[in-house]
Amino acid sequence: MKSQKALSASRRNLIKWGVWGFGGLMLATLPQVATAQSSRSSTLTFNANDVGILNFALLLEELEAAFYAAVADSGQITDSKEAEYVRVLGAQEAAHVTFLRSVLGEQTLFATEDLSFNQDGLNAILSDRDQILNTAVALEDVGVHAYNGAGPSLTNPTYLLAAGSIVSVEARHAAGVRALLGRPTTEPDRDRLVRDADLAAELNPFKGKAYDELYTPKQIVAIVASLNLINNPINGALVA
Amino acid sequence: MKTPLPPIFQATYSLLLPDNFFALLRDRSSHFLNRLPSFAQAMVFILPLLLAVCFVPTAAYAQGAVLTPRQVTEYALTLEKLEADFYRRGVAAARNGGLAGAPQIAKDAIVSYGQDEASHVEQLSAVLPSLGGDPNAVTIPANPNYTAILGRDPFANPADFLLAGQYVEDLGVAAYKGQVQNLLAAGEAGKTVLAAALAIHSVEARHAAGVRFLRQALLGADVNPWISNNASSTEVIYNENRGGSPIPFSSDAFDGYATQDEVLALVEPILKGVQQPSATPQPSISPEPAATPQPSAIPQSAPSAQPIPSNGSGSPTPVRALW
Repeated sequence: MKSQKALSASRRNLIKWGVWGFGGLMLATLPQVATAQSSRSSTLTFNANDVGILNFALLLEELEAAFYAAVADSGQITDSKEAEYVRVLGAQEAAHVTFLRSVLGEQTLFATEDLSFNQDGLNAILSDRDQILNTAVALEDVGVHAYNGAGPSLTNPTYLLAAGSIVSVEARHAAGVRALLGRPTTEPDRDRLVRDADLAAELNPFKGKAYDELYTPKQIVAIVASLNLINNPINGALVA
Repeated sequence: MKTPLPPIFQATYSLLLPDNFFALLRDRSSHFLNRLPSFAQAMVFILPLLLAVCFVPTAAYAQGAVLTPRQVTEYALTLEKLEADFYRRGVAAARNGGLAGAPQIAKDAIVSYGQDEASHVEQLSAVLPSLGGDPNAVTIPANPNYTAILGRDPFANPADFLLAGQYVEDLGVAAYKGQVQNLLAAGEAGKTVLAAALAIHSVEARHAAGVRFLRQALLGADVNPWISNNASSTEVIYNENRGGSPIPFSSDAFDGYATQDEVLALVEPILKGVQQPSATPQPSISPEPAATPQPSAIPQSAPSAQPIPSNGSGSPTPVRALW
């Protein structure tokens, strides 16, 4: 099953990143595919309700899954343990995507193919092992803060429990990759992308290393935009 | 989304997943899992697909006893006081005790996680009065019986401390997760504690992952930062692979939860306390099987912390010569 998951992730990767897996030579031979990929960037509109939150979570999971699939194909992670982590983390993100899509059903806002990722931004990250693992930490931390921040806004208790079931796995990912980098496994304040002064007060009675602060969807969108990985415009009441 | 579960799915569901399905998988004396791993693993992915289309919000409160925000906070404070005390003793043992020979990376983690738990105690204590509670009324024994976790002193050597730490941290994650629906149900009155609980919950998961990584990296233990698919009762001490939910808890991509009754049943033997500090080396003649947590609230194959024989097939990898 694990090999099936990995294969699935790899296939997803080929679909989403177009010709990335074939390298630059092939890229030159298939310009029409690359063009088709980059021109498709439909706007994603997230409503301020449970469905909007789950779709927003789906976007982050898609980003993470695509990232790990691209990392696996990049060949930059040569250590066997690190490669195994990348494989499993990618498979778990893919499982989150599958789960959220099945929960959302007809209310799913976008197909995987509707997402347009920035090849240049990705290539810059995939340049070496440290850059890759540090980006993984950043993405996982963002996921943790995003799920935590959205939790109190959910109204369906099963959705909240599901978010809790996923967020602790994302936290394990962040800790595991930090450990691979030889760093402490909790998030130091200096790694936080939202400063104390900018945190929503009502969502953050506790702050500091011992807490994973709650970020608003708007703050998450700003962080994701700064990573320069998604071309799709993002709007809607949830992220306003 | 709000369509009631169609009878066909109910029938399919009960056919695929009898009440004791995961208990059967978890029972190490059974060969069921060994014979049908691919079937069991396929279920992990087929079931959510079948069930997720049938989310029934009105039937969703399935997390055990209903607790008020104050009760959740008192319960969490009890666990945090225990965790903080556990690490405080770990730090002492790392200074001049059974953990003195641990690698620095492990000692650093013990100190750091202990600081986090102490902060949780401090902050939850600060919140409790606003909910009508008294943090000083939430107490743990002077000398908790930590021997109950493994059936032996967890501070005697790094391997046992990290194994106990894994059990404690994973349980902590599951315990917080088990209360989020109670806090949501409390409405506005539960919002602050829900935010606090979420902020703590994922940090406990980082701790759990860190302890697991140390066991993997330093001891060669067959464990990862994440909880395995269909995790055994030697990996987690609560019911991680809970069935009957649209959420595929037995998948390694989804962490399970534990109800208050389940957690307290596991913690109760520790809270009974002992006369002597458990960090004091005890004569290791009798491992006190009676002290093994038996979660009476969990039916079927009680996923308890069985004392693990040093050379049993289900035991962690033996400690390397380093330690």
